[in-house]
Amino acid sequence: MFKNGLSYVRVIVLMLLTHLSMLGIVLVRSTNAENMSDFAVLAGTVIGVDVLCIAVTLFFRQMTYTLDFMLICILNLSLIFQSCFGSIHLSVKHLITCAAAYAACQAGFLLTRNHEWIRTKKKYIYAIIGVLILCILCFTGKRGLWINIGSFSIQPSEFIKPCFVLVCAASIVELHKKIKIGFFYVSKDTLCVCAAALVIFGLQWWCRDLGSLPTFAAVFGCALVCRLCYPKAKISRLGVGIACTVGVLVLILAWNLAPAYVQDRLHVDIWADQYGDGYQQCQALIGIARGGWLGLGPAQGHLHKVFAYESDIVFATICEEWGLLTAFLTVLVILLMLTTVLMNPPKSYYHATMTTGVVAVFIAQMALNIFGSCNLIPFTGVTLPFISMGGSSMLTCGFLVGMLKAGQSPIFRHKEDLPKKRKSAKKKSAPRKIAARKVSA
Amino acid sequence: MKSIRRGQHLITLMLLLFLAGMAFLIWKLQSEASFYMSHASTTTLGCVYDRNGDVLFDPDATKETYASDHFIDVGNLIGDDSRQMTNTLVSQNMDLLANFSFMLGEHKDGKSSIHTTLDHAVNRRVYNAFGSKNGCAVAYNYVTGEIYVCLSKPSVNVLNNYADIDSLESGSLLCKVFYPTVPGSTQKISTTIAALETMGYDALMEHRYDCKGSYLNVSGQRINCHEESGHGNQNVMEAFSASCNPFYAQLVESKDLPLDDIIHTYKQMGYAVNGSEGTTLNVNGIACAGGSTTLKDADDFDTQWGCMGQGETVVSPLQMMVWQSAVATGTGRATMPYLIDHATKVNGDVTAKAGTKRSGQLFTETTAEAMRTIMNANGEKRYSSLLPGTVVGVKSGTAQVGADKHENSLLTGYVNDVSFPVAFCIVIEDRREGEVSTSQIAAALLQSLKDSLE
Repeated sequence: MFKNGLSYVRVIVLMLLTHLSMLGIVLVRSTNAENMSDFAVLAGTVIGVDVLCIAVTLFFRQMTYTLDFMLICILNLSLIFQSCFGSIHLSVKHLITCAAAYAACQAGFLLTRNHEWIRTKKKYIYAIIGVLILCILCFTGKRGLWINIGSFSIQPSEFIKPCFVLVCAASIVELHKKIKIGFFYVSKDTLCVCAAALVIFGLQWWCRDLGSLPTFAAVFGCALVCRLCYPKAKISRLGVGIACTVGVLVLILAWNLAPAYVQDRLHVDIWADQYGDGYQQCQALIGIARGGWLGLGPAQGHLHKVFAYESDIVFATICEEWGLLTAFLTVLVILLMLTTVLMNPPKSYYHATMTTGVVAVFIAQMALNIFGSCNLIPFTGVTLPFISMGGSSMLTCGFLVGMLKAGQSPIFRHKEDLPKKRKSAKKKSAPRKIAARKVSA
Repeated sequence: MKSIRRGQHLITLMLLLFLAGMAFLIWKLQSEASFYMSHASTTTLGCVYDRNGDVLFDPDATKETYASDHFIDVGNLIGDDSRQMTNTLVSQNMDLLANFSFMLGEHKDGKSSIHTTLDHAVNRRVYNAFGSKNGCAVAYNYVTGEIYVCLSKPSVNVLNNYADIDSLESGSLLCKVFYPTVPGSTQKISTTIAALETMGYDALMEHRYDCKGSYLNVSGQRINCHEESGHGNQNVMEAFSASCNPFYAQLVESKDLPLDDIIHTYKQMGYAVNGSEGTTLNVNGIACAGGSTTLKDADDFDTQWGCMGQGETVVSPLQMMVWQSAVATGTGRATMPYLIDHATKVNGDVTAKAGTKRSGQLFTETTAEAMRTIMNANGEKRYSSLLPGTVVGVKSGTAQVGADKHENSLLTGYVNDVSFPVAFCIVIEDRREGEVSTSQIAAALLQSLKDSLE
């Protein structure tokens, strides 16, 4: 196992203490005789989920469990937040999506921990992206984003994010396979990624889902930087310079050619249009101010009356009820989870590029959500990873964390250990080998 | 491994950028929280006071707690929190008045307040001095920038809660001190400054022109003088005092005063000339217009008329007053006016303490001194009764306004006394012969202010 600075026991104790102290705040500041039973249900669920998830996590053989415990910590924080907006009640819907996110995390981990195996499946990933795009084009109605099935709504574009991260990840072998186009030698994989990016950007533009576009752009940008910087094993200043110039030009073009409804958001003076286009942001900022550093108390806020209080402006809703301090610490926990990649660096180039893409998704989404709702940047209405209500978003975030975990607990198999030779290995009843220490990067 | 480390560096960079963004956000939220809360419907506000502690705005004011006309003279200047008026002291400074702090939250009994430089008693006296006439008046300390008097008639009684909004006179919800008006002959101050900047005092004094009651300019257009019999042969000192139109028409036509030089000086003073961008004033968040004019051809009637404060020339009364400070101090730099002396936070701590600010160089010190000589001479000759025993440098003006060409009467100037450094501007709308004059209001203003400040 990796050294993580903190022992797992300490991490678990810290996690439990965090949840207990938050439940304590709910008990002291917002619980009375009428909602005591609701509080008991919430507290029991949170502690029960903590214990259950810890037990389940330990069934998986990994090099490190830090990330798992942090994920459980964040998911239950999220459950407490969502269960206290407006009134104290266990948010069953969010509990289910948290469980789904945890399961998606394990699925993402199992699917991507062997970089050589997942690398060979890129064509299927492209196919999945294609199917998802077709779903969007065929089933979401007029240039929409959502597929409604009964009382459920699915946002297929969310599922494209982990797929896009996977196709943007590259191994050294792939980058060495170059073809000549004009005067340039370009790897085939890079061309495929660029084509996929163009299609996805075009789709986002067509769907008018410009909120997700920066997230895809961030992943693509990271992939480009990794690819441009790799070949000579030193940073290609010319390449980075050209990429940055192109990026700025594209940004200027997009800024000027953006449709009218986007232009409105880019230039809206929210305080002059407090009851129009700026309503959500104004209410969010007023809510944050009203909450101050320590908040009004769980279930004591007013923002739960504002549209998308539990998703698009969830940061402000937390600030109002729990205070800016708690909201900032929550963001810090998410950031700490991402920094585990720095503590336990990936051992293969593929995993390195993959985890870079994952971090880009989370950072872009957090920035869009928090800074957008606080009027630092245009308001796009994207979700805050793990905290916002929404099944598609939670599943995607869970899967992405699984990919992050895969970078820290990878499997390296020699040719004889690859899946096609596993049968013979099983016959010999050889013990399952995990994590050969040979580094291939 | 080097390539993997690059990925790590990229991740570190993204995390740091995000953290920097969060740090900026927290700083912004902390510093702007009061502003956000000022837009919340639940916020309680503090009071606004004058320089002597008299209340100018109280969110809980009723006709039972205050005299029914207590706020009438400052209704459209101080305003209230109803959001009916947007360019008022309260609406522009709600964040200072909000009984709220990011650390302590909302406090209904907080000590947030604004302490202004206004003298409510004097303001009220000047308001009453207008009698039945409408108009506006403003006066300030041209050394420190403190505004003592600022009023606009008709005004609005905020204690009526806008129940009478449909029957209010036009302009009741605007403090006209901050909005442009036709300056009339007070514009001759700016034109004289332009001539002084170009020629210098001695050369300008050598220019003498005849006035025979009217003047036919180079283009064959007639400029009439208010003195039908004419003023005879005059220099600039005499023409300024007589407010002689033919003299100034010939001065503008003069080859010794190129139009480009007039335009240059006007722009230096902040005018928007021929569509250029002029400077505007801001008094504690209250937006105030500067001056603007159109000057195309020195031989043309419209340009000459514009240099005499008619036609397309407009200036706000506040701007006219501010220019007086550049003359009165002899520095050529204006003293910027302010209304808020200081504010107190929710816990009573003093914040937003005012300080004196000066403009850039509007014109040279030599020009300022020469202009002061000319204005003082006019004051001594014609307005010695304004403040007995003290020289008051002034310029009067009459402006034809509106489709009915009714005449507004204007008076702007300063007290030439360092112990009582007050500059002012007064406008009476649609003034007829025999009605209250600007000099009577100025006398009431200066005497009341002198008594109050002593």
